[in-house]
Amino acid sequence: MSFLSIQNLHKSYGGTAIFSDINAEIEQGEFVTLLGPSGCGKSTLLRCIAGLTEVNGGKILLGGEDLVPLSPQKRGIGMVFQSYALFPNMTAAQNVAFGLRMQKVGKEESAARVQEALAMVELGDFAGRYPHQLSGGQCQRVALARSLVTRPRLLLLDEPLSALDARIRKHLREQIRSIQQELGLTTIFVTHDQEEALVMSDRIFLMNAGRIVQSGDAETLYTAPVDAFAAGFIGNYNLLDAPTASRLLGRPVNGQVAIRPEAIVLGQGPISAIIRSHSLLGNIIRYRVDAGGVELLVDVLNRSADDLHANGHPISLDIAANAVREVA
Amino acid sequence: MSRADVPAASLYHRVVVWLLFLILLLPLAGTLLYSLATSWSATILPDGLTFKWYLELWGEPRFLKAFGQSLLVCFGALALSVALILPLLFVVHYHFPKLDAVMNVLILLPFAVPPVVSAVGLLQLYGSGPLAMVGTPWILIGCYFTIALPFMYRAITNNLQAINLRDLMDAAHLLGASTWKAAFVVVLPNLRKGLMVSLFLSFSFLFGEFVFANLLVGTRYETLQVYLNNMKNSSGHFNSALVISYFFFVLVFTWAANRLNRDKA
Amino acid sequence: MSAIHKPRGKWLALLCLLPFALFFFAFQVAPLIWVALNSLNTPDGWGLGNFEKAFASKFYMQAVKFSLQIAFWSSVFGMLIAIIGSYSLRQVDSKLRDFVIAFSNMTSNFAGVPLAFAFIILLGFNGALTLLLIQAGLIDSFNLYSKNGLIVLYTYFQIPLGVLLLYPAFDALRQDWRESAALLGAGTWAFWRHIGLPVLTPALLGTFVILLANALGAYATVYYLTTGNFNVLPIRIAAMISGDISLDPNMASALAMILVGLMAAITLVHQLLLRRSYHVPR
Repeated sequence: MSFLSIQNLHKSYGGTAIFSDINAEIEQGEFVTLLGPSGCGKSTLLRCIAGLTEVNGGKILLGGEDLVPLSPQKRGIGMVFQSYALFPNMTAAQNVAFGLRMQKVGKEESAARVQEALAMVELGDFAGRYPHQLSGGQCQRVALARSLVTRPRLLLLDEPLSALDARIRKHLREQIRSIQQELGLTTIFVTHDQEEALVMSDRIFLMNAGRIVQSGDAETLYTAPVDAFAAGFIGNYNLLDAPTASRLLGRPVNGQVAIRPEAIVLGQGPISAIIRSHSLLGNIIRYRVDAGGVELLVDVLNRSADDLHANGHPISLDIAANAVREVA
Repeated sequence: MSRADVPAASLYHRVVVWLLFLILLLPLAGTLLYSLATSWSATILPDGLTFKWYLELWGEPRFLKAFGQSLLVCFGALALSVALILPLLFVVHYHFPKLDAVMNVLILLPFAVPPVVSAVGLLQLYGSGPLAMVGTPWILIGCYFTIALPFMYRAITNNLQAINLRDLMDAAHLLGASTWKAAFVVVLPNLRKGLMVSLFLSFSFLFGEFVFANLLVGTRYETLQVYLNNMKNSSGHFNSALVISYFFFVLVFTWAANRLNRDKA
Repeated sequence: MSAIHKPRGKWLALLCLLPFALFFFAFQVAPLIWVALNSLNTPDGWGLGNFEKAFASKFYMQAVKFSLQIAFWSSVFGMLIAIIGSYSLRQVDSKLRDFVIAFSNMTSNFAGVPLAFAFIILLGFNGALTLLLIQAGLIDSFNLYSKNGLIVLYTYFQIPLGVLLLYPAFDALRQDWRESAALLGAGTWAFWRHIGLPVLTPALLGTFVILLANALGAYATVYYLTTGNFNVLPIRIAAMISGDISLDPNMASALAMILVGLMAAITLVHQLLLRRSYHVPR
């Protein structure tokens, strides 16, 4: 029996179903990401697990205990919000200590644990600062410390990095992941950023329109998307319908296919194409090529400026058979 | 938070809000009923209903005169306010933005100093001598200007900040307009909403003003509120009709201000 | 910076300020200066004689006492009702909420003489509400024309002002604070005690001060109700500058300065309290 077991969960609002019949099993110590576009239900699902939103049916079993009838106060779950939700009238230390205060932990033990939690997020010296004196990244780290100090059984993070700028986001990503691994804390992370999901997670649940479309580790989701939506959401797959694909590959094809841009080899092969344009994405050059009327994205490592193919230049392509993935 | 769980407002909250509404409604409702009653004394409900009090009221020349004089004074004050405050606002926000802080303190004065206190000084300064205007509508117009000032200054300032005065003026200048022309043709039309809203709100406030009207002018230029006070000893039904008519008139104005506010939002 | 900032332009602009400054000075500042100066104008020359006389007089001190008591209690009750009302207003659907808020703003225009009149009808000796309450056995009698009656009346017109000021203050309470507090183990009571009330305190204090000032300076309502016969500061001041007997503008000025002084003192206390309580920077 998994540590967290979601069974037949459904939630509607005003007659419309947000999600229905969601099932998921999550092991203890796993870092799971709920990934999907806006409106797919991932945040609502998270809030249902936290108890902030009522469910209309189903069970959420944590360590064998059904959470659904419990109030948020009693679930033993920690949560980090996108907007930090730090209490403005308390210092960082007081914010972190709040959960311990509610648990009636003694002053000395509380102070020690608060210090420890703040040190863990590298904010030991900022204990006396108020939220308005902290940057966004610092606020989020305090929020993380606050949710960890009470030793929750489950940690939920609702798009915690979306409000931060790119550099801080990368740094915090690593910090969250390393703390999680160090503590062995079961964690559910919600994001719409597929790169974040791929980098941080043990497993990803890809959601769309209230359904879990695919679940699996990063490698599986990236290389073996189960349908057109999954292929379109993760990575920059070239999606082709059957007739177009047949024409391109010179062999019959059963259904829609997805081809990863980095799987196409430039400069050799049977397919003739013309370079239409290119974009420099740092360490990758992304070419837009026209292969007999079929537009393809091709990603090539930016090894040296000499390798750059000019626009309008004819080029040959090779697409290996195992790079072509049939999707529903 | 469109998908977030918004529980149907619990019964408690709805009851509280309705109670609040009822508390606020009660005096109004009581007066309305009284104005429509044939007679009503020492009983919980009136004896009968009639429109005769309203007919009597609106046929009463002294009432109509008071009504008209109230309107005149209020409109006069508002016209004066517009003439004084609009140039003030433009000059402050365009030429001397630092003065805005000073202005924000100054407009606290009408709030911080109760009208009774000002009345003491006003009666002495303008009661006699070269500037004698006590007992005339002129002193009321002057005082009402100070009352309307905070409302108008704040509302139009917000409006000016929203339209980004500097950029508008710079654009107009670059296109060849002089400062005067730009102010009239470009800025003024954009202030319409803020101006209208503050005018309506100020009017509602001024129309109900009693302190200055009674202490500085009294019956020599009887406004509606003073008339109401002077009629204290006549029929309660008549007075009720008077109050309701006054309130209804103000209601229409406040409603118009609300409508404009919503359009702005 | 604009291209047209020649010195001549600036002087012209200053000239435009002149009419405003003139009127503002004439009708707002000058009277205040007159009052301040002439409060020191005693029959024995310049000095604090008027103030000494005021503080020694039982009658004038009673006016101060009644003013403060009525202002205090009406503000307390008005605020309590406004807090409970505003909080619930935030929780109901927008149609009901917009309607009641608009209605509340409307009724603030009802203040002054019309309100006093309406209360006489409802709660006067033969008022419908008075009779109803007596018949229901809730009270023996009700004297609207007493201090307690005035407190009820003042409370009434404090409510719309309180709602107007407090309703937006509840905006400051973010939903996610409530949620994260819940997940950390705080129930409703703990939330309000540790987070809700502390965050609201500046707004609550500020509103209370405004309500106090509003009640202290109120004249029309009590004048109409008691025909100028109830002993509160505004009535005392007005009685000495109008009417037939005992005109004493200098004494009136002294009392007026006491009134303004009270309001200034309240504002001072408010600022001190603000500094000591938690303050949310915007």
